[in-house]
Amino acid sequence: MTFTLVRTEEQAGTRSRPQPSQGRRVSVKGLNAWYGSQHAVKGLDLDFEPNRVTAIIGPSGCGKSTLVRCVNRMHEEVPGARVEGAVLLDGQDLYAGDVDVTSVRRAVGMVFQKANPFPTMSVFDNVAAGPRLTGSRGKDLAERVEQSLRAAALWDEVKDRLNKPGTSLSGGQQQRLCIARTLAVEPEVVLMDEPCSALDPLATLRIEELIEELKSRYTIAVVTHNMQQAGRVADSTAFMLAGELVEVGPTEKIFTKPDDERTEQYVTGKFG
Amino acid sequence: MSAVAGRAVLPPVSRGRRRRDLVMRVLLGLGTALALVPLVLVLWYVAKRGLGAWSAHFFTSDPTGNFLGDPGGVKSAIVGTVEIVALATVMAVPLGIGVALYLTEYGRDSRFAKLVRYFVDVMTGVPSIVFGLFVYIVLILSSVGGGYAGWKGSVALALLMLPIVVRSAEVVLLLVPGSLREAALALGAPRWRVVLRVVLPTALPGLVTGTLLAIARAAGETAPLLFTAAIVNGTSFDLGQRMNSLPVQIFNDIGQAQDRLVARAWGAALALVLLVLILTLSARLISRRSRVA
Amino acid sequence: METRVAFQEELQRLQAQALEGLDMVVVTLERTMEALEQQDVELAQMVVQDDDRLDGRYLEVHQGILSLLARQAPVATDLRLVAALLDVIKHVERMGDQCVNIAKLIPLSGHEPPRHRALVETLVEMGRLSGALVQQAGRAFAERDVALAEDLVARDVAVNQLNRECFRLALEAGDDPDAREWAMMMLLAARNLERIGDNAVDIGEQTAFVVTGLFREFTDASRPAVIGPR
Repeated sequence: MTFTLVRTEEQAGTRSRPQPSQGRRVSVKGLNAWYGSQHAVKGLDLDFEPNRVTAIIGPSGCGKSTLVRCVNRMHEEVPGARVEGAVLLDGQDLYAGDVDVTSVRRAVGMVFQKANPFPTMSVFDNVAAGPRLTGSRGKDLAERVEQSLRAAALWDEVKDRLNKPGTSLSGGQQQRLCIARTLAVEPEVVLMDEPCSALDPLATLRIEELIEELKSRYTIAVVTHNMQQAGRVADSTAFMLAGELVEVGPTEKIFTKPDDERTEQYVTGKFG
Repeated sequence: MSAVAGRAVLPPVSRGRRRRDLVMRVLLGLGTALALVPLVLVLWYVAKRGLGAWSAHFFTSDPTGNFLGDPGGVKSAIVGTVEIVALATVMAVPLGIGVALYLTEYGRDSRFAKLVRYFVDVMTGVPSIVFGLFVYIVLILSSVGGGYAGWKGSVALALLMLPIVVRSAEVVLLLVPGSLREAALALGAPRWRVVLRVVLPTALPGLVTGTLLAIARAAGETAPLLFTAAIVNGTSFDLGQRMNSLPVQIFNDIGQAQDRLVARAWGAALALVLLVLILTLSARLISRRSRVA
Repeated sequence: METRVAFQEELQRLQAQALEGLDMVVVTLERTMEALEQQDVELAQMVVQDDDRLDGRYLEVHQGILSLLARQAPVATDLRLVAALLDVIKHVERMGDQCVNIAKLIPLSGHEPPRHRALVETLVEMGRLSGALVQQAGRAFAERDVALAEDLVARDVAVNQLNRECFRLALEAGDDPDAREWAMMMLLAARNLERIGDNAVDIGEQTAFVVTGLFREFTDASRPAVIGPR
């Protein structure tokens, strides 16, 4: 049974506020994940609110990247990796036996730490790669590419060089290209794994501004080791430590008066 | 250590060190020259002996087999080499790349994959004459599809090329960054599409290079063809029959008493060297012009 | 592409809230002076109760600044602005309290107190000047006008002079104990008005801080000692 996607049509346009779409809620329930014998995520429960940005912070190795990779079922691509528990997208368990993995990944998109545009493809082909690779055939492919590039705030910068290689763009532009590529398959949820850690400050701020715009149409989760970024970008923040969820709450609360002492220690920089 | 006003903070290089540096440089230079000398000598010798035999007649006529009179050229040998190697390529390359794809994309570290890798490694060390003998016994003595034939020579060469193609293709495929596969998978693509539309195109220049090198290697092998395609004078386009080839022609001619035949052998050797050189240079050009990002 | 849009909007909103607080102080002061002039006990009571709004405004801005600092890590001009706003809203709250102090005096001074006409008029004038001072401080901050902020000092001098005048008039209140009691209370009112003026000057100093990055006391902005007759 494939996963059905319901989405409202948005009009192509410049960076005007697009119509908000009803976002999806992601609920992680009792998630456990292993790399071989190493228990990376331990019994985790976490909700990602629809049309909101949730940041996941924590020291290196706390399992935050593993967590998001379990949400779009990329974790199981690692040899020896194992997952137990449930991830619900608006109530539907993505790990149910009859669910098609590729449709999960279409519904839950991912942007990686280092921008990875396909080197053999042009800018246009990179964005079109999503629809092409997932078998949705060429109807209005050009329009879809333009819409995705607009949504990623990249259209104006590349509209005259759609045929140039994807790798000819700057670092920040490449990352926005990858975002456009992810958006082109029309996901419901967008996961970002440290999307700005390889970028300079201005490129970082542009992407954060982009995230702010995107949240009106998608549910977004951002893994970041930069706490200031979590502060700027996220509506709620979750703090993980050694595979466990220590605390989750509105970002303002986490950074002004967190409940857990360990959270306080981490955000004030006493460890991590 | 005296503290003189205005002295340098860092001590200068001692004279002993400078001397040792020079000695080592000279030794390395000499060693390199030593290694290059035989190579240059061979090329020069072949060129000197071979150029004399080259002519339009040399390239356009078949060997006549006559002891006296016009010995003919090597046209059938060149054509034969091209045909046999082309067929061998068609057999070995897709299979080899397929095996490499299995090893990198699907099998990875499984026990079976490890076994396959081991056998491929063993095969790279097998002497080429063994492949020839193998095909001789299996295909010729048993009279499957007639006696000596060009295509049987191709089979022998393909067996030779296969492990080379697998090895080099695997290396190139492993060089494709995992992040590209990840990105394609994360878009929701099934694995076979990821391999076909992302991995292969990215690895293509390297695959072409590896193929060209395998071809260059196979083009020069004599032993497998001796027992399988054998030798014949006329140019033939029928791979089902005996077929001539450059290495075998050279082998044949060099043992003759006639000087003209020996000269022809040198000419053929030069032609073969040139063929291999062109293939190798093309491989270099392709790999330099593109790189895996 | 514009960046940190939400942050800038939030910062501007906080500034607007703080400056609105100043507007609220001006209105409160007007009503207080009207109550004083008319000996309107009910109006005075309203002033006291409405101070809750100013306190609420203070908490709002304070919490907003805390949240902004935690999440946005402002630097340079943004940081100076945030620090200045913290200071400004404190002064706003202070000025509200000073109005309350004056308003509380009105019922205390009795139902039909013997009122010295000149003293009342001087106080009303003082109130008017102080109110103008607060408005000017607000405008200077909003427009980042350092010259206008520095001008506050000169105007505050006038307020201080009127304060001394009130003192002199109070001494001439006469021997009637009721009259003297009333005059004492009016002196207290004057003192509060003078404090309002000082707070306004402090806000001017914050304006200069935001613009120049240097904090310095404007000359003559120190608290007036009890000045004897000249």
